[in-house]
Amino acid sequence: MAATYSPPTLGQSLSSALAEARLRFVNISRYPGQLVLEIIIPIVFAAMPMLLGRATAGAQAGANFEANTGTANYVAFLLIGSNVFTIVSNAFWHMAYWLRFEQETGTLESIYLTPTSSVTLALGLSIYSAVRALITASVSYIAGCLVFRVNPFQGDVLLACAFIAVGLIPVYAVALLFGALVLKVKESNALIGLMQWVVSFLMGIFFPVAVLPPVVRWVALAFPPTWMTNGARSALLGVGFFFDKWYWDMGVLWAFLLFTPLFSFWVFNRVENGVKRNEGMGQF
Amino acid sequence: MQGEVRIDKLVKTYETRQRKGLIKSEMKLVEALKGVSLSIRPGEVFGLLGPNGAGKTTLIKCLTTLLLPTSGEAWINGYRLTKDDNAIRATVGCMLMGERGLYWKLTARENLEFFGALYHLSPRARRTRADGIIERLSLGDIADRTVETYSSGQKMKLAFAKALINDAPLLILDEPTNTLDLPSARELRAVVRELNRDGKTVIYTTHIMAEAETMCDRVAIIDRGEVLALGTVPELKASLGREEVTRIEGVISAGANEAVGRLAGVSHTALTAVNGHTQLTVVSADQRALLPRLIEALVAHNALVQKIAPEEVTLEDVFIARTGRTLAEDTAVK
Repeated sequence: MAATYSPPTLGQSLSSALAEARLRFVNISRYPGQLVLEIIIPIVFAAMPMLLGRATAGAQAGANFEANTGTANYVAFLLIGSNVFTIVSNAFWHMAYWLRFEQETGTLESIYLTPTSSVTLALGLSIYSAVRALITASVSYIAGCLVFRVNPFQGDVLLACAFIAVGLIPVYAVALLFGALVLKVKESNALIGLMQWVVSFLMGIFFPVAVLPPVVRWVALAFPPTWMTNGARSALLGVGFFFDKWYWDMGVLWAFLLFTPLFSFWVFNRVENGVKRNEGMGQF
Repeated sequence: MQGEVRIDKLVKTYETRQRKGLIKSEMKLVEALKGVSLSIRPGEVFGLLGPNGAGKTTLIKCLTTLLLPTSGEAWINGYRLTKDDNAIRATVGCMLMGERGLYWKLTARENLEFFGALYHLSPRARRTRADGIIERLSLGDIADRTVETYSSGQKMKLAFAKALINDAPLLILDEPTNTLDLPSARELRAVVRELNRDGKTVIYTTHIMAEAETMCDRVAIIDRGEVLALGTVPELKASLGREEVTRIEGVISAGANEAVGRLAGVSHTALTAVNGHTQLTVVSADQRALLPRLIEALVAHNALVQKIAPEEVTLEDVFIARTGRTLAEDTAVK
């Protein structure tokens, strides 16, 4: 029988987080169609404004686009937008809907009966979600570029990857904030749906943030996905960083990375305790 | 101390929203536990007996840290509730919510190994422990099938298996035989007894009195958030004193029940539906002296009596004597 309790080591916590990630991978492996969908949807999503642009501007589409954005490669510009949107959208759905879904199926109480903290579980879920999103987004971006016959690897690919990778952590932290909100109000679909569209609009999914009205632009800059998208576009397509130099933009993302997770865990723990104080985690 | 539970004046109140039509709603305060105090000794099987809504599950959820108590204190395995919650979770094996606590898209083995990881077992320990439990509970044939393909009883068995993965000194089982067929329920009870013989303390909640009588060393009867009686089964039965129980089956109206309740010498009555009939349970001081008047009262209220029998006192009779209601009734806490 289990003897006296000693707190988990870092290795044990990491092992628990990886078990959570593995559980999700095993689960999604039983729904392979979902992964195929995640590769196709961003291409279709980007194709709509792309074809509209071609229909309205004809052979001048590239030149017109360059005049306003700094790159003639509108195909890659739109594909980056739609893929970052898919990554952000997945983060929201995986994190916030995870809580709601587990609450409804009864497994949330099961995992709360174990000594693994919600921070560890959120880490495991983020690992799973990030790996899944990065793989599907990369495949989707490359496939989209090939379909529309543009070079997917122009510009500084490594820097673009760095912007995406650093931006992912604050994105998952913001997603955890929404998880807390979902736990509180016990409503997921409408909240997550609304949030993903608001963020997609603010991050400039199909347009540069510069075209937004000034007040909206400032609000947009408060969201990490805006910096991720612009960082990746600037690194690959040279559309221009917000602060002119890449390292200042990267610095802002690092500031998000340091602050947002701490704030999110603080809020999540408060909500978690509030829920436990009232009807409990399983009440849906 | 391992396997020991001490609860001191535990209170749990919470607010719940009461819907009033489409838009209106109002908050209502629910007193789920009203100062529960009890001690569970290491190595015993302790029964929590009460109808649905009595507060058993709320008490268990407090003890397993799923709910924060409003006031009061508790020590589980020597760890203090709300202070050492991780230690409590690590040293308690819990079966709550039955089949709902499982991942249906995973196999039994995958479920057990996943929960093993959440208890911080090493990958090798998870596998060994899962294999051992699968063998002990005869789950081998279904261990590598996804849970969604299981029967309800098989899911319950796996939920029980999950409670064993951390090999805790204290097992908390909430209605573990719900939805099990008779042989499976018997098998599960045998394993619980075996685990108890191995030294594990077991908290066993049920609303089935016969199960509590056969399984538990001591029983606490809970109703409306309060412990009404606590002791060994013989002690609880003896607490009815010289009172005797008569059960009448047939078609019996509420009016007949009330009339019987007013007869001299009758301390409690309860009317329940059993297999399409109504069953009137009468607790009285002297069965023989009561019988003629009892029949008279029933006939006067047009009761159709099919069977009338004096019976041994059961735990349900103790419950009826304390509350005037049967265990079959839901007693949502007020």
